[in-house]
Amino acid sequence: MCIITISRGSYSSGKEVAEKVAACLHYDCVSRDILLEASDRYEVDEIKLVKAIHDAPSILERRGRKKETYIAYIRSALVSRVRSDNVVYHGLAGHLLLRGIPHVVKVRIIADIDRRSAMEAQREGITLEKARSAIIADDEQRRKWTQSLYGVDPWDSSLYDLVVKVDRLSIADAVDIVCDAAKREAFKTTPASQQKMEDLVTACAVKAALIEEFPEVMVLSEYGNVIIHSASGGRHAQKIRKAVGALETTIGGINSIEVHADGNAPPGSV
Amino acid sequence: MTIIAISSDSYRMGREIGEKISKRLGYRYLDREILKEISAGSGISEEKLLKALEKTPSALGMSARDQAVYLAHIEKKVIGEFLKDNVVCHGLAAHLYVLGVSHVLKVRVLSNPEVLGKELAPGKDLSGDAMEKLIGRNENARKRWSLKAFSLDETDPSNYDMVISLNKIEINEAVKSIAEAVGYKKFKAMSYSLKCLKDEETAAEARTILFPRFPDAQVRANGPTVVVITKGMKREKQKKALIIKEMVGKIPGVNFVEVHIVNDILRQAAESLR
Repeated sequence: MCIITISRGSYSSGKEVAEKVAACLHYDCVSRDILLEASDRYEVDEIKLVKAIHDAPSILERRGRKKETYIAYIRSALVSRVRSDNVVYHGLAGHLLLRGIPHVVKVRIIADIDRRSAMEAQREGITLEKARSAIIADDEQRRKWTQSLYGVDPWDSSLYDLVVKVDRLSIADAVDIVCDAAKREAFKTTPASQQKMEDLVTACAVKAALIEEFPEVMVLSEYGNVIIHSASGGRHAQKIRKAVGALETTIGGINSIEVHADGNAPPGSV
Repeated sequence: MTIIAISSDSYRMGREIGEKISKRLGYRYLDREILKEISAGSGISEEKLLKALEKTPSALGMSARDQAVYLAHIEKKVIGEFLKDNVVCHGLAAHLYVLGVSHVLKVRVLSNPEVLGKELAPGKDLSGDAMEKLIGRNENARKRWSLKAFSLDETDPSNYDMVISLNKIEINEAVKSIAEAVGYKKFKAMSYSLKCLKDEETAAEARTILFPRFPDAQVRANGPTVVVITKGMKREKQKKALIIKEMVGKIPGVNFVEVHIVNDILRQAAESLR
């Protein structure tokens, strides 16, 4: 029992690998449906969520923090969806949105640029050269997105437990390798790792509820004890205290809520 | 005949994994121990060969030409060993010069950051940030080295079939995954992939001969034909081509040497300004 996130570029066969891994392990396979859930739950246009998770924020967007709000919604929907395990997620940024959870197997599927270009050219009916440019532009967009929001490069192998290149290794071989890794002891859900997941669900739900009004808040949950950190000082903290009153009843799993306005946010906050 | 080329951010870790795989599969294990033999055969000291595998050329240290010569000798010997037997190879940069050979399984293993940090700074108690910086510096140094030596980024995952992080996966589990992956049919040697490997060996041998005199030469081999591209002035084209043909033509099995001399624009400009 674990969660598998599959990060992939366009036309890298990651989707096929994810679907086959899910079928092989009898897990659910989720991807963009998370956006629908987030759209329903937070009443935001799906297209805005798609843009938020795909395009790198522009200079204006970075100031407005709208993108971060949408990503908080998506993250909250994702962690709620995968909390009970046995899920393969192959949408964008799963390995980053589920950071800190020990029973998540983080996989990246890559493929040769020529192979990807040929697939794009065939599907879109364009020349190989145009297809190659489109794929490079798409990869660059992903790189900027990850760097601007999380300060890391998605091509950095150390972000993943496993990187598999589908080229000489076939899709079936990649499926075998991922399934085999998922059965390892290190990725089995334990009571402690499940507690971390429950805390992440709570913290993400609180953050999603507050972020529109208080975009700077950072939230941490430990065994249901929620600490909200505001970087905007005491006046804001008062407002947050008023706003969180209702959350204890609307969001499950909360024992207590504290609001802090001094120092840095505790490590592991979302 | 099967070959596994292992790259790692830690020599110690790569060696441990390489030895375990070779034991499990009954393959021969090849690492920097072979530098002794290369040294004996080439007359280049073991220390210089090791330096070529670890350091980037600099104005005060090893020159780019020397590094190219040393690496060519290593390449020639390692490929020769690959042609003999089932081999697990680590620490000799094989993943960078047999990239086009389909039956070589290329794997990169990333150490647990805490273990790597302790290995890079033994005896020091580094904070998380300092350790991260140290690991980053080490990675950048390897990146610079591989770009300079083979025009390839060693840290780029697309140069491997598989990258395994030992953050959560244990060494024995990684060994098992690699040993199983090599059983996939694409990693079985075929006549074409063996020919590619033989061609690489011929090209490496030509480099060992040419690089001391023509360090910018680009060499490719295709069966008994060797193609050499190098820079030169218009007036010396013929002479240079003849010398190269004579030098490379001595390699056993080579019966045709094609030489292309590309105009050396910079030298030409420098001479016209004199």
